[in-house]
Amino acid sequence: MALIQIRHAIRDAIAEEMARDERVFLMGEEVGHYNGAYKCSEGLLERFGERRVLDTPIAETGFAGVGIGAAMCGLRPIVEFMTFNFSAVAFDQILNNAAKIRHMTNGQFSVPIVFRGPNAAAHMLGSTHSQAFEPFYAHVPGLIVIAVATAYDAKGLLKSAIRDENPVVFLESELMYSVKGEVPEEEYLIPIGKADIKRPGKDVTVITWGQGVPVALRSAELAAAEGIDAEVIDLRTLRPMDTEAVLTSVRKTNRAVVLFHGWPYGGVGCEVIAQIQEQAFDDLDAPVLRVCYEDVPMPYAENLENLVLPTAERGLAAIRAVTYRR
Amino acid sequence: MATVVELPRLTDTMEEGVIAKWRVAVGDKVKRGQVIAEIETDKATMEFESFDAGVVLQLVATEGETTALGAAIAVVGKPGEDAEAALAAWRGKSGGVAPAAEAPKAEAPAPKSEAPAPKAEVAPEVSPAVAAPAPAAPAVAAPAPVEDGGRVPASPLARRLARENDLALTAIRGSGPHGRVIKADIVSAIEARSAAPKAASGAATVTSGAVDRRGRPFVSAPDRPVKLSQMRKTIAKRMTQSKREIPHITLTIPIVMDRVAAMRAEISQAIEGSKISFNDFVVLAVARALREHPRVNGAYSADGIVEYGDVHVGVAVAVEDGLVVPVVRFADQKSISEISAEIRDLGARARSRTLRPEEMSGSTFTVSNLGMFGIEHFTAVVNPGEGAILAVGALSDEVVAEGGAPVVRKIMRCTLCSDHRLFDGADNARFLAALKRLLEAPMALFA
Repeated sequence: MALIQIRHAIRDAIAEEMARDERVFLMGEEVGHYNGAYKCSEGLLERFGERRVLDTPIAETGFAGVGIGAAMCGLRPIVEFMTFNFSAVAFDQILNNAAKIRHMTNGQFSVPIVFRGPNAAAHMLGSTHSQAFEPFYAHVPGLIVIAVATAYDAKGLLKSAIRDENPVVFLESELMYSVKGEVPEEEYLIPIGKADIKRPGKDVTVITWGQGVPVALRSAELAAAEGIDAEVIDLRTLRPMDTEAVLTSVRKTNRAVVLFHGWPYGGVGCEVIAQIQEQAFDDLDAPVLRVCYEDVPMPYAENLENLVLPTAERGLAAIRAVTYRR
Repeated sequence: MATVVELPRLTDTMEEGVIAKWRVAVGDKVKRGQVIAEIETDKATMEFESFDAGVVLQLVATEGETTALGAAIAVVGKPGEDAEAALAAWRGKSGGVAPAAEAPKAEAPAPKSEAPAPKAEVAPEVSPAVAAPAPAAPAVAAPAPVEDGGRVPASPLARRLARENDLALTAIRGSGPHGRVIKADIVSAIEARSAAPKAASGAATVTSGAVDRRGRPFVSAPDRPVKLSQMRKTIAKRMTQSKREIPHITLTIPIVMDRVAAMRAEISQAIEGSKISFNDFVVLAVARALREHPRVNGAYSADGIVEYGDVHVGVAVAVEDGLVVPVVRFADQKSISEISAEIRDLGARARSRTLRPEEMSGSTFTVSNLGMFGIEHFTAVVNPGEGAILAVGALSDEVVAEGGAPVVRKIMRCTLCSDHRLFDGADNARFLAALKRLLEAPMALFA
């Protein structure tokens, strides 16, 4: 298996799908001549030409809408947001058109589109460019929301997202584009809606996704040094959520921590906890805890930003608390 | 309001504790979970972690003092609060156990050995549909180790496990934050319960977690605790001593009782009001046989063997929840009617528990008869201090061969269980042969 960066796993997924299906095309800011702001589309313009790799103006509402219209007309657009913070400008298109047209037309039109790009805080980007958008999109019936943390998952899930008949919000991480992982040479797909146990364990379940995954895995290592065996579950798909995977694990460990990049209030973490307490109440030996951003706009100052971000140490503290170790 | 710290139940069996060492002094700040004292229980010295936070206002119990479960041992509160007022209010509540220093009668209605009335309802959170309304509070039922009344803090899993294992949450000390009962506490309570003698109070039946193949739950009843009576304690002690120290040998012999039966019928016809039993004949025959075989009427000790000069035959009598052995003294020198009357009188008074202690001591040999239950033959345990015990089985008609022809005889089997240190199998057999001879030709008893 090849060891490749996540950005190249994404590029390869797009290239394979574009080669496989001529309806697939990529559009967004700097995706063509600049090879992508984070080099996720390197070489695609050269290979597929200007008809299928389109540089757009800085006008998210416009090109998100163009993408939705193209999808309604039978194409399979991939719309890159330079960061998901800019998707806020296109929010009405995603919320009211992409997510609802199939419903409002009683299935006469579908919107097979992928909106993809980096999500959540990177490093010192200030409060308007450091936000995690999964709570906004996962809230909406009609959207599929995916967050990937490895090259293998990124490639397999992006290919599935491109082939899906529904609009997919595909969340990546600026900080993790360079992270390498093993990816098979041969073609593969990862089904949407399946979580992955990134680390098996028996004492506590840590549920995470996206940028939270490496943090959770480090927390689990710290816990292991103290004799606590943590299981780390990467949800991968946030909507529809693989609730069974979470419940199976919690029924085994009796304890859960949800670790993610994002604010605590009203997010995907809350949905995970709601499912656990509704369906595994009698299996819980401790309250389910969250490890995430502090409930504040992200500070620009590095020292303050570090106080807001979820860390392996904060993850360990939560793991200790739910296992009653002090 | 300041909080009164009560002596907690730190082991399942403790009924009182001794403050071995205070780890805090008056005026010290105390955090929840901080060890404030070392408490000597019936098992070990254990650390006692505070359920409360605040400042130590008063140490009620002194080091080395024996204190009842649930008694006030300290008062914790805010600086400047009145400890005496808190103690007075605490005493006012029912269930307050007086500290040992005070007059126990005035303050503690419950005897010291009993757990004070639990302050919280027993497992009020258990749904009646799921479990019995009052899952048997096992013998470990303790004053709720939680703050005033109300609900016991417990994790959902702990609640479920408590329900499934018929444990009352109020009886379990929570080790989680704020005294929350967690899985680990239930697991150790279950372990403690299976380690301790099975004991539980209450008679409620509950549905067990197990189901039959149609999915219907089996009905499960709680274990019934029975306190050891003095009699049971004595039986347990002596029988254990016997089985541990005495190498038993047992030999069984069949005895043809037709002639005893005929003689018994004759005597009851001849002497009005006499009700001589087969056992009376056995006791008389045993007494006479013991005279012939003095070693069987003896006892072994490391210093030497003693052959008792007198023949005092103990007769085992079953009474409610036990067994007593009144003694027919000088049995070898008594007539059958004297023995019969004496055994009847001793038996009646044994059952009414009016025997005097001296009437139950001093036997040199014991006869135990279970014939009335249809027991064919059995072995018994030698009473320490004696050399042997005769276990008498039922008398029944059996077909036996006599002179090559089948005949029906009344057969009774007697088993002599004896101390091998005192004599050997052949001596044992010779005694049984003598007994057989006397009973099969009972006229010899009257010679």
